[in-house]
Amino acid sequence: MPRIKPLESKVTIELDGDQLQAREGEPVAAALIAHGLLSFSRSPKYHRPRGPFCMSGGCSQCLMRVDGLPNVPTCRVPVKAGMRLERQNAMPDGRLDLLRANDFIFRDWFNHHEFLAGVPIAEHLLLKIARELSGLGILPERAAAEREPAIVEHLGLVIVGAGAAGLGAARHLAERGVAFSLFDRDVAVGGRLLTAAEDRQGAPWPAPARLRAEVVGLFADAGKPFLAVTEGGRLHLVFFERLLLTVGTHATLPTFPNNDLPGVMSGRAVAGLIRRAGVLAGRRVACVGEATEARALAELVKSAGGEALAVGEEVVRAHGLRSVDAVTTTGGGKQRCEIIAACGAQTPAFELARAGGAEVAWSSQNQCFVVQADAQGRTANPTLFVAGEMRGPMSSAAAAAQGHAAAMAIAGSAS
Amino acid sequence: MSKSLVCACEDVTASEIEHAMTKGPCDIESIKRFTGFGTGMCQGKQCLNAVARLLEAKAPQKPAPEQLLAFTPRPPLFPTELSYWASASFDPALAPGGGVPGALDVTAPTLRPTAPIKSKAKIVIIGGGIMGLSLAWNLTLQGETDVVVLEQGYLCAGASGRNGGGIRAQWGTPTLITLARRSIELMQRFARDMGINVWFRQGGYLFLAKSDDVVRRIEKSARLHNQHGVPTEILTADAARDVVPELTMKGVKAAAWNPKDAVIFPWPFLWGYATQAQKRGVQVETFTRVQGFELSQGKVKKVITDRGDIECDTVVLAAGAWSAEIAKLAGVHLPNEPHRHEICSTEPLKPFLGPLVSVLDSGLYFSQSMRGEIVGGMGDPREPAGMNLGSTARFLTRYAQALTEQLPQAGAVKVLRQWSGPYDVTPDNSPILGKTPQLENLLHLSGFVGHGFMMAPAVTERMAKWMATGESDELFERFTLSRFAEGRLEREDMIIG
Repeated sequence: MPRIKPLESKVTIELDGDQLQAREGEPVAAALIAHGLLSFSRSPKYHRPRGPFCMSGGCSQCLMRVDGLPNVPTCRVPVKAGMRLERQNAMPDGRLDLLRANDFIFRDWFNHHEFLAGVPIAEHLLLKIARELSGLGILPERAAAEREPAIVEHLGLVIVGAGAAGLGAARHLAERGVAFSLFDRDVAVGGRLLTAAEDRQGAPWPAPARLRAEVVGLFADAGKPFLAVTEGGRLHLVFFERLLLTVGTHATLPTFPNNDLPGVMSGRAVAGLIRRAGVLAGRRVACVGEATEARALAELVKSAGGEALAVGEEVVRAHGLRSVDAVTTTGGGKQRCEIIAACGAQTPAFELARAGGAEVAWSSQNQCFVVQADAQGRTANPTLFVAGEMRGPMSSAAAAAQGHAAAMAIAGSAS
Repeated sequence: MSKSLVCACEDVTASEIEHAMTKGPCDIESIKRFTGFGTGMCQGKQCLNAVARLLEAKAPQKPAPEQLLAFTPRPPLFPTELSYWASASFDPALAPGGGVPGALDVTAPTLRPTAPIKSKAKIVIIGGGIMGLSLAWNLTLQGETDVVVLEQGYLCAGASGRNGGGIRAQWGTPTLITLARRSIELMQRFARDMGINVWFRQGGYLFLAKSDDVVRRIEKSARLHNQHGVPTEILTADAARDVVPELTMKGVKAAAWNPKDAVIFPWPFLWGYATQAQKRGVQVETFTRVQGFELSQGKVKKVITDRGDIECDTVVLAAGAWSAEIAKLAGVHLPNEPHRHEICSTEPLKPFLGPLVSVLDSGLYFSQSMRGEIVGGMGDPREPAGMNLGSTARFLTRYAQALTEQLPQAGAVKVLRQWSGPYDVTPDNSPILGKTPQLENLLHLSGFVGHGFMMAPAVTERMAKWMATGESDELFERFTLSRFAEGRLEREDMIIG
């Protein structure tokens, strides 16, 4: 079984009518993976099976219908007793999906612009079929309960993201006695300090933070910037004087044949499952990609009782029909495995910074878009600072140092 | 099959991205629109860098780093239930302003082509939206192929790429009804004529009326529709609920229903017209800006662009909401004003909503796209004139409140992205067509107030004929720029928003 530690307290949840046991409060996706379930959903056109990839709400592979609501990222939802989960977009159901035939009919890809374009009768048929097959989830069953009115707040210095960089900044500011408000969408501070396989010495500094507070937008209605934050089931509109963004990264899907098979996950997702949920996603884990992270992940997998293979190698292709059963790498040939952990998959989450007026540029060296800022994290907008992995790949120590530098600049200009 | 996926949300493969690179422009905004990558549940978080890597490695012309431009991220950052947005409040007395992104981002100097532009052409069309491109195509049908179309951004950068795709014959004047009906005919056979799918779906238009005044308006226009062969029916609120059972009909007094109205996917129209016009010799120049005109003896002699001058016989100004700004460069005053209209799209849902539904009193409209998203918007009566394509939280709040009043289940549906486009508004809500007084070879094709997309196929068919044959056509005599000075306005009331 992939649980590293046995369940001490159990609740029952339901997946497509089957009863499963889980730990209350753990992410739903982790609970399902602990049961060896990797296939969560079906893709929109080809109905390929999909399973969790990023485990941080930044992809669409783990979406399910949860308690009557469509397209819910199961990696972000905590387990509650009696929860009802359903796989979506499959006919007749998530285990057997006849629409997978699309994947074989359109071997390489489906040319939706030209397929049957203007062919009499056939084009009408295509329209009808395409319409019937469109969409992922089904409209919610009921009207949503009305929410409490949104709360408008006026804060001074706001930091978004309590990972290495955000904590580095917060610690410096706290030591200097500078007031700040720190937001994080996770249940605990630490960011990758809690999830990554590499540099995991020491616990994160326990900064005071507003947790489970998800920043969903940076707006500037009437020219005044504010954050839209969902927290405790309520919307908060948070106006600020200065903003430090330390929101880190998303995971980019590495490109190789069958890269979307359930079992292909980002390195951080696999590491986070072990470290936080106590779940080893599979016995045999190919730790591929960027070498430093891959080596650290291999150690972590072994310490959790798993087997690591293809460490730091490049993937040629993944194999499997319903989920990964083997990997071919440049160095190692074809090897059996259940999980392919893509290391070095993280790329900067630049969206909020860009909305705030920062510049974003392509870095050929890092092969990703990065937020542009000076050594202190100042962006093109003088009230907006950035630090950490939003500026490109770096160790958590380097991110903390950047957070510290930005905090010094902010505190300096505040006094 | 062993596909390499780039965008897992929308099932876009690496081969499909590579195919797109060979079919057209290789800037990221164009590739995004052509393949659909980055438009699904994750909004590009997972795929944008993968596409940029593919472009850097495999584009026919290797892009320089400054030519790899990330597409504009749209709020919200994560899918967020409409009920959250509905819980905020806004001041209806205040004019909306601002928005994100703060700067206009429809053009990009680093993507301007380095190849020289044609120095002479018979006809120069300014604006590569639906108007300019369909006019170019229709001119080729009239035998005019010495045509250059100038577009400041990528194709679909302007309002033609930002609208909700509604197509209706329910208009308030015989002229617009006739044009719309002809457009619908042409759009129905677009795929056959142009070889590209446009997903023309006849789900009907359901207009809801909440005040006696609006009820009288829809009754009056329904009589007009019936006289012109449009089968609009006036329904009671209960009968309208039969059309869409999910609607509450809260406050609704009556509805106008035409099952023949439709929704299309806007982008392929532009690609279809552009590709076919280019095959017949038209030059479509993207990322090219008009900087001025050389005038002599009451005529435009040259169009001055940032890639060189073009000597020409005729200039057509079809730049939508940018038209007034460009006309000014020729010393011509157009009364057109740009007005931002915001719009948003939700997570994809299985089909449940047949028609496009619009509440005429508030300007709310929404329909379900061929991918299952609820796409909709609502004009803001306080929106000031001015070019602004920013997105606001205020819009999401107004829209969410109005939508959930009509469709309560939508409260638990998540918004995926919001954007905006510019309406090209004229004082009487009617277009400006035909000649310019004192500048005889500058022709106008603008001022469509948010409904240009659905009028374009029919209007440009007539304009091309009028230009090529010189035969008189009342469109280009009634809707002229001179009507404003002469005080004969052509008022249209069936405007949404």
